[in-house]
Amino acid sequence: MKTILAFREEEFAWSHEVFSCLHPLLLPLCNKPFIEFLIDFAILTGSTAVRILCDGGINPIERYCENGSRWGIALSYGSLHADDSAQILLGKNRKFCGEERIMIVSGFSFIRYDKRLDYKSLASSLPEGEWAACPGGSITLSGAPEKPPADGAAAPLSLMPLDGMASYYRASMEALETGADRYVLPGYGGEPGCAIGRNVVISKSAQIRKPVSIGNNVQLLGDTIIGPSAIIGSNVIIDRESSVESSIVLDNTYIGEHLEVNGRIASGNRLNDPRSGASISMEDPHLLGSIKKSQTLSALPRKVAHALAALVMIAVLAVPFLFLWPLLKLGGRWRSAQIDCHSENPGETISLGKVELDATNALGAIASTLSLDHYFRLFRVLTAELALIGSTPLPAEAQHPNAPANALAYRPGVFSYAEAEQWPATGDDAAIVERYHLVHSGPISDIGLVVKAFVNRPHEKSSA
Amino acid sequence: MKFTLDNIDGQLVGIAELEGRLDARNSKPLQKTFLEWLEKTPLVVFDCSLLDFIDSSGLGAIVGCLRNALEKEGDLRLAGLNEKVGMVFELTQAKRLFSIFANRGEAASSFAAKPDSGTGR
Repeated sequence: MKTILAFREEEFAWSHEVFSCLHPLLLPLCNKPFIEFLIDFAILTGSTAVRILCDGGINPIERYCENGSRWGIALSYGSLHADDSAQILLGKNRKFCGEERIMIVSGFSFIRYDKRLDYKSLASSLPEGEWAACPGGSITLSGAPEKPPADGAAAPLSLMPLDGMASYYRASMEALETGADRYVLPGYGGEPGCAIGRNVVISKSAQIRKPVSIGNNVQLLGDTIIGPSAIIGSNVIIDRESSVESSIVLDNTYIGEHLEVNGRIASGNRLNDPRSGASISMEDPHLLGSIKKSQTLSALPRKVAHALAALVMIAVLAVPFLFLWPLLKLGGRWRSAQIDCHSENPGETISLGKVELDATNALGAIASTLSLDHYFRLFRVLTAELALIGSTPLPAEAQHPNAPANALAYRPGVFSYAEAEQWPATGDDAAIVERYHLVHSGPISDIGLVVKAFVNRPHEKSSA
Repeated sequence: MKFTLDNIDGQLVGIAELEGRLDARNSKPLQKTFLEWLEKTPLVVFDCSLLDFIDSSGLGAIVGCLRNALEKEGDLRLAGLNEKVGMVFELTQAKRLFSIFANRGEAASSFAAKPDSGTGR
């Protein structure tokens, strides 16, 4: 059994208007991209290979799904004409189809299935022709049945057309409410109806009311109320005393303080009403906004404050540095190399010294405690190439966090906000903490956070 | 901003038409003008049916106007909020502060009926 997933641009044109930054096939339903639900279903029917066809751009899907090894199937991609019939699709993809039975899932529709049921036997025994259909979508089988019809009740299956914001909202809520019993949903949680991703910071005073699905890198600040029926995407901050109920908050969204999001879809700075189709772009970043580079990052007061503080640190640390550095260098306990990192501006890189400091002896431990491995970087604050405190510098080979597809806050610093908050200083886990402070912190609070980072910084044997 | 006075069952009700955008640029002039309107009557209706966009400054201005009206023992009632503007009122919970009516006629008549018969407070 093999599966062809066929999509036409006109079926999801509405999505480009509402969620312009996302390819419609990657639109998350209950924190899982739509295309993954279809791939899961293809796997349930026993498909070993899936071919995704579309009459529009499909590059984002290829980048996301790659060759399908994540799911243990072979994924391939191709194009189609909007008016290609099922027979034409089979003809054009003859090489892919071979002699096997083919299931064609056509249209931008949500498939209601139940992962506990046996669709494999059903798909291989049903007669050729239409299996399920809805306006604008269908599942058809081609080729002779591989098995005789199975006895007993057929596994239920139906399609829901995703033809607008309202149906998208309904399908998401349905997936949330039916939960992990029927679909393979992301996240983990101690109890049914509460799926929570990685690196989620939940304030003690926050309330979670099931069912909820919360993505990765999320901060729920004090007295927030999440749920019932709330889907919170990844890289989301819900600020103090706000509530999110019967709503979807898509990735990279900031919900300000004292707000009530009820029956809405929030995406970046855009608030949508799925019932009426109304949509409004907020112009107040403290109400609703994208988590992205803040205008205040480049503000002069902040740069001046950072430079002055760096100057003080250079002066204070000069004596221990001039004493310890030659000794450690001669003793082979101070090894340095240059690495290229992303600068604040997309497309530009900065070369930074990476110091490996052996802190196993007393001198090395003192140097590490005083963060002397960062001493040279302090001079880069004076030239505004680095902030005194900001994001962990990201190696140049990684995708830039401020690239348009991400639009996240990033400004490399000598110290990182993650260090100040005692988060793991590397990897995605620190990202949300850094983004939060980049957006919310000011020059004075930055200095306080530098002191915290200086004190809290994990003084490991080697540091970047 | 057009302001008219209507006599509803012997009560003088001011009706102001808000149009286009209400944001940082025109929120202060609104508050200033509102004080002049209050000299004529403390019972005011904001007809928002032609209001396309409101931000937090505009919202703050309307709340400020309500406060001024209440200080004069009057009230400010809203009418004809479209879905976009209504969403901002719901999001910020400002909807709870106001009596909101479908149209200016209903809002004006409400002053002659019960004190608070709108969808808000």
